[in-house]
Amino acid sequence: MRRVAFLLLAGLLTGEPFAPAAENAARVPGSAGGRAPSPIEALPDRADSLKFAVLGDNGTGEQPEYDVGREMAALRASFAFDTVIMLGDNIYGRQDPQDFVTKFERPYAALLEAGVAFYATLGNHDSQNNRFYKNFNMGGERYFTFVKKNVRFFVLDSNQLDPKQRAWLDEALQHSTEDWRICYFHHPIYSDGGRHGSDVSLRVALEPLFVKYGVNVVFSGHDHVYERIKPQKGITYFVSGSGGELRKGDVHPSGMTAAYFDQDRSFLLVEVAGDDLFFEAVARSGATVDSGVVHRERPETRGSR
Amino acid sequence: MKPHTLAAHPVAVRRRRPSVLARLIERVVHHYAGLPVGVVIALIWANTAPDSYFAMAQSLAFVVNDVGMTLFIGLITQEVVEATMTGGALHSWRRWSLPLLAAAGGIAGSTAFYLAYVQGQYEPVLLTGWPVAFAIDIAAAYYVLKQILPRSGAVPFVLLLAIATDVFGAFVIAPRHPTLAAHAGGAGLMLVALGIAGAMRALKVRTFWPYIVICGTLSWVALYQDGLHPAFALVPIIPFLPHQPRRLDLLADPPDDDAVHHFEHEWNAVVQGVLLLFGLVNGGVLLRGYDTGTWAVLMAALVGRPLGILVTVRAAMAAGWHLPRGLGWRQLVVAALAASSGLTFALFFAAGILSTGPLLAQLTIGAIGTAAGSLLAIGAARLLHVGRFSKRG
Repeated sequence: MRRVAFLLLAGLLTGEPFAPAAENAARVPGSAGGRAPSPIEALPDRADSLKFAVLGDNGTGEQPEYDVGREMAALRASFAFDTVIMLGDNIYGRQDPQDFVTKFERPYAALLEAGVAFYATLGNHDSQNNRFYKNFNMGGERYFTFVKKNVRFFVLDSNQLDPKQRAWLDEALQHSTEDWRICYFHHPIYSDGGRHGSDVSLRVALEPLFVKYGVNVVFSGHDHVYERIKPQKGITYFVSGSGGELRKGDVHPSGMTAAYFDQDRSFLLVEVAGDDLFFEAVARSGATVDSGVVHRERPETRGSR
Repeated sequence: MKPHTLAAHPVAVRRRRPSVLARLIERVVHHYAGLPVGVVIALIWANTAPDSYFAMAQSLAFVVNDVGMTLFIGLITQEVVEATMTGGALHSWRRWSLPLLAAAGGIAGSTAFYLAYVQGQYEPVLLTGWPVAFAIDIAAAYYVLKQILPRSGAVPFVLLLAIATDVFGAFVIAPRHPTLAAHAGGAGLMLVALGIAGAMRALKVRTFWPYIVICGTLSWVALYQDGLHPAFALVPIIPFLPHQPRRLDLLADPPDDDAVHHFEHEWNAVVQGVLLLFGLVNGGVLLRGYDTGTWAVLMAALVGRPLGILVTVRAAMAAGWHLPRGLGWRQLVVAALAASSGLTFALFFAAGILSTGPLLAQLTIGAIGTAAGSLLAIGAARLLHVGRFSKRG
């Protein structure tokens, strides 16, 4: 950790991009490895783009969560995101008012003070009452939608996908006119996490809607690792469940694994610019562990194929 | 070559041997094995081809859970109605009060263990699943005790306990059914259904068909409209059918002399088919989907319920109640363990209150796991030398 901090500092002083330590680099099946770009390099940081961060399974109130919060705040100086989407298990253990301070408000104090808005979904460790907590911006709902620039987010409660929620999603997706459709919820429908893995029952219920209405990207947590899944039926899936908790070495890569990182805590930075979604997975050390771009096919292009 | 022996006999004299499939179906029906068979198929299917399994399960869930299970719940209602009639096992309060108290103790014990475990693991979303923890599989309890203590008071005692528990569970889960939308007006339709059933009873209609088809259908639509679990549609209708009192140890072999028993005979094979489909649709879970909810259900059913029953019976005896004839403490321990299997009703309650997702999967695995309660009862009987394991033989 101290070595990484030193390298990061040296990089900042010399103007050279920080090369992550080997143990922090994403494990990309079929990749020979190589130098990963710095956070600044991987994201174009355009003036008119939407910038947000993705954080999952974070609310432990322990030191690693604080480290991640600090790293997010540090990176915000060069990548000014104003939104964080939270993938559930936002508060572990007791859920008393004091817990919201020690497990959320303090770790992300710098971000909250800067006016960054957090939009949470409920995980299996979250009380249903947490949807009323104002800093989670859930409006008292288990599932809801919101728009940021040209992106519509669909936030689901994957603990149980009741008929009403599915019907709501069907209608909300149908009426969405924004360029990008991003869904997020706690339990991944594609995951190589050894502890939980893919929730196939949810997949069978949700994937047809995602495909039918052209959802572009899906974020989930629950497995305490980072993983990017190769596009499934045209949709890119991310598992980002190590914002505070970690299950070290839990990814069992398969044919659907595009990249993964299961050695330390991590979070994602995302930038949506035009038809491209740039992403960068960052370890709590500040090292980039995965990056890339998801290109959106315009509906007319898709139809002409 | 030896001449064919059949040639010497007229063909009509020889009865055709039933096919292997026919004999298999007969065994499944006779032994109430529809559900376990369905669950085993579902588990194998879900863990080998999950996408096709869940596609099938989600497409059939409504037809099986909300329509087909109406018949099963109807048959259980019939048991209760007949047991409460003059001469029935539930008619005299002296007979039913101790099992009823034991049922309350079992519910309290299961629920306390379940909630404590879930709270201890800080998974508040699981709190909603508490009814799954106290459900009792009536058929499993009946068959296990029939094998261990065939002629003791344990069989009716546990049957009363199980029925009271599951009736309570029905009241708890019916309003929590996750429907798409509830509409007003169901109550009026229910009144019409009850009115027609009452009129048929007054006109001494003895065949069960009009009660089931006309009144049952109206009742089903009424419950569905109101957002209540429609599988309980026959519950308010069954009491209008003509009945005979029941001793409760004849679950699988009722007499055949009134409308309800005709109903039971006619529908038994169908209900077994429904239970097989129910097991198939609800029993398939990815085995690695176990989690906190699984352990909570197992702890509640296998430890909390027997403890709750035993403690309550002990307290009741201290207050002046008496154990049924032929039932000592060792037998009671075995009986309490026999009541720890939740299988059918636990699955039904889980599917009735939870929708697709990981919570349902966790609780389903727990519900299936409670089948181990039957093995625990047999193990305890061996250890305590109870019934057929008695040293006296």
